[in-house]
Amino acid sequence: MTRVSQAALYLSILAAWEVLPRAGVIPRLFVPSLSEAVGALVENHGEYLASLPTTVGEILVAYVIACGGGILVGQIIGASPRARRMLLPVFRSAYAVPLVVLYPVMMVWFGLGAESKIAFASIYAFIPTMLTAVAGVAALSPALGETARAFGATSLQQILFIALPASLPSIVAALRLGGALVIVGVIVAEMLGAAEGLGFLITRYRTLLNSPGVYAGIILVLVMTGMHELALRRLERMVASYRET
Amino acid sequence: MTKTLVSIHGVSHRFGADGAGVLALDGIDLEVPDGQFVAIVGPSGCGKSTLLSLVAGLRRPSSGTVFCDGERITAPMPRKVGMIFQEANLLPWLTAVDNVAFPLKLRRVSKLERRAAARDMLALTGLAGFEEKLPHQLSGGMKQRVSIARGLVQDPAVLLMDEPFASLDEQTRMLLGDELLRIWSETRKTVLFVTHSLNEAVYLADRVIVLSARPGRIVDDVAVDLPRPRTFAMTSSERFGVLKERIWQHIRQAERR
Amino acid sequence: MRRHERLIVAAGGVGLFLLWEVLVRRGALDPSLAPAPSTILDALLKLARRPEVLASLGVTAWEVLAAFLIAAPAGLFIGFALAEVPFLGALFRPLINFLFGVPKSIFLPVFILVFGVSIPQKIAFGVFTTLFVVIMGGIAAVESVPRELVTVSRAYGATPWQVIREIYLPSMAPILLESARLGMIFNITAVLLCEIYGARDGIGYRIAAWGENLQMPQLYAALVIVAIAAVFVNEVLRVVESRLGFWRRVA
Repeated sequence: MTRVSQAALYLSILAAWEVLPRAGVIPRLFVPSLSEAVGALVENHGEYLASLPTTVGEILVAYVIACGGGILVGQIIGASPRARRMLLPVFRSAYAVPLVVLYPVMMVWFGLGAESKIAFASIYAFIPTMLTAVAGVAALSPALGETARAFGATSLQQILFIALPASLPSIVAALRLGGALVIVGVIVAEMLGAAEGLGFLITRYRTLLNSPGVYAGIILVLVMTGMHELALRRLERMVASYRET
Repeated sequence: MTKTLVSIHGVSHRFGADGAGVLALDGIDLEVPDGQFVAIVGPSGCGKSTLLSLVAGLRRPSSGTVFCDGERITAPMPRKVGMIFQEANLLPWLTAVDNVAFPLKLRRVSKLERRAAARDMLALTGLAGFEEKLPHQLSGGMKQRVSIARGLVQDPAVLLMDEPFASLDEQTRMLLGDELLRIWSETRKTVLFVTHSLNEAVYLADRVIVLSARPGRIVDDVAVDLPRPRTFAMTSSERFGVLKERIWQHIRQAERR
Repeated sequence: MRRHERLIVAAGGVGLFLLWEVLVRRGALDPSLAPAPSTILDALLKLARRPEVLASLGVTAWEVLAAFLIAAPAGLFIGFALAEVPFLGALFRPLINFLFGVPKSIFLPVFILVFGVSIPQKIAFGVFTTLFVVIMGGIAAVESVPRELVTVSRAYGATPWQVIREIYLPSMAPILLESARLGMIFNITAVLLCEIYGARDGIGYRIAAWGENLQMPQLYAALVIVAIAAVFVNEVLRVVESRLGFWRRVA
């Protein structure tokens, strides 16, 4: 029953997106119909595809910096109760700082190219990724390590066989959050100031008042974040199932 | 002859909006004289807790009537009936004394007055000195003492206890059982005490009502003729064993069906 | 944090700024990229006396506040409705969960298409980013109310109004405050993003302009102002939150 009404709800949202702009109830400049947006994507697919290497490249580099750095620092801070006590309050307060204001600085430092996007997205995603990783490590039971020591595990063995597998779920959780923020960070940076990339395309179509073009770009970004989300959820399930056996 | 305080006449209860659900209780008749300590036992799911919630006025029976102190119960009557649950269910943002005073607060008794009454009840339940503690600072047994104090604070004639010690450890529940008997002998409340522990039922009560498996019917009404005050030694007496055996037979039969 | 640890952290912070200052003076850091903290402080004091800068801060504060005052009650109302009305919850909660996860910033161009570059556009975008956080908070708050406590208070004769006041409000308050705080963080970020992306006034607009003109001392000074203001709002809300949640077991 609920499934049916949910399906009906989603279908009617999609139908409204198609019909209302066509009927002139919503101005097409505000919201072009679904088919118009998809049409723009198909029609200009060459341009959108050409923008992807830049954007995806920036995302990948920032992904490695933000998630790698965030998880690494998170593991180090998380492992030490004293570091947690001293640094977490600082980072929690710093979390409130609206980091978008850093982008103009990044532009001055690194110019209009990929570097400023990578730098901004890395900073943007770093703290939340790290906090997630810390939470995971901090929640680990010390009993596991003690058991391992009781059986004579060396430090390396403890890290390889105990700490790493035990913190895998939190690492995946950190990736899931951090990756999503990196994608958004890169796109927003490209929207704010760039000469190429998907975010730049969206902004250019906005200046041209070409709303189907804008929506087509947004759809593409949503597809990217959606794929990332699905992949990480899958990874989360794999990690969880492996832990249960 | 003492007067009858709680009387349950022909009570049946069926769950579900239009009485289409499971029949939980079937034709319960029970008269409880003033000051009696009645334990209610029965196999799991026999409707003992449902019976209690009918007396508390939290539910209305599908058929039959419940009277308390001459008044028919159709809604909660907190001044006549104090209810104590399996979990202490304290309000976590209130101190012990304010938790005990809570029922009075609902009746808009002045703060000074209700806190004074609550202090007395905490003293009665052995928690003097813990008035200003928050629930998370209290042990499980202490929380349940607060809950008992809360049940007593309006000086109700009847105390309903729904497996109040079930989530406590064995030692704490024995200690609290003795405490409950002391409080009961000081206040002479009428107690309806649901439990699934036969030891607890026989040790605490004047009378044990045995319910059958669902739908719950009264299959036995056992008078516990052990002298008071009850002592731990009695639990290994022959009479104690005989009473427990008699109740156990019913429960085993019910579980077999 | 223990006292000596607090000192170490504070000393570390001060030390970082000192190092920065020394590096710039020695010529190791390019002042046209990162001016010395003393220069920034100087610029900050000058900015604080310029009425047009203060006016811009006022514009931003007004946009943030207006967006919050719309989003918070609306989000709470929707959240409560979804949590308390089973039909609505079953129908709309998956949709809300989905929208909660969708990145909001990328929709900013749409808001310019609809509202133009304007103050209503910034407020609307602030509402859009804040709303879902508050909705989720409202749902979580209602679900955090222990049903047993509702039963207990009914057994002790509470009226529906008393149940709301004595049970619902106190147990929901910390979670509501928390979601309001998170919503506020998102809201401030959203409004500033709007202003940097395209605006005629507001502190974000000035930050973007100073950046374009390479006026680094002013740019850094503005970052300091924004950071301090945001952290201040967050900390105030957090204090209220922990006051209201004093009874929650400290983890």
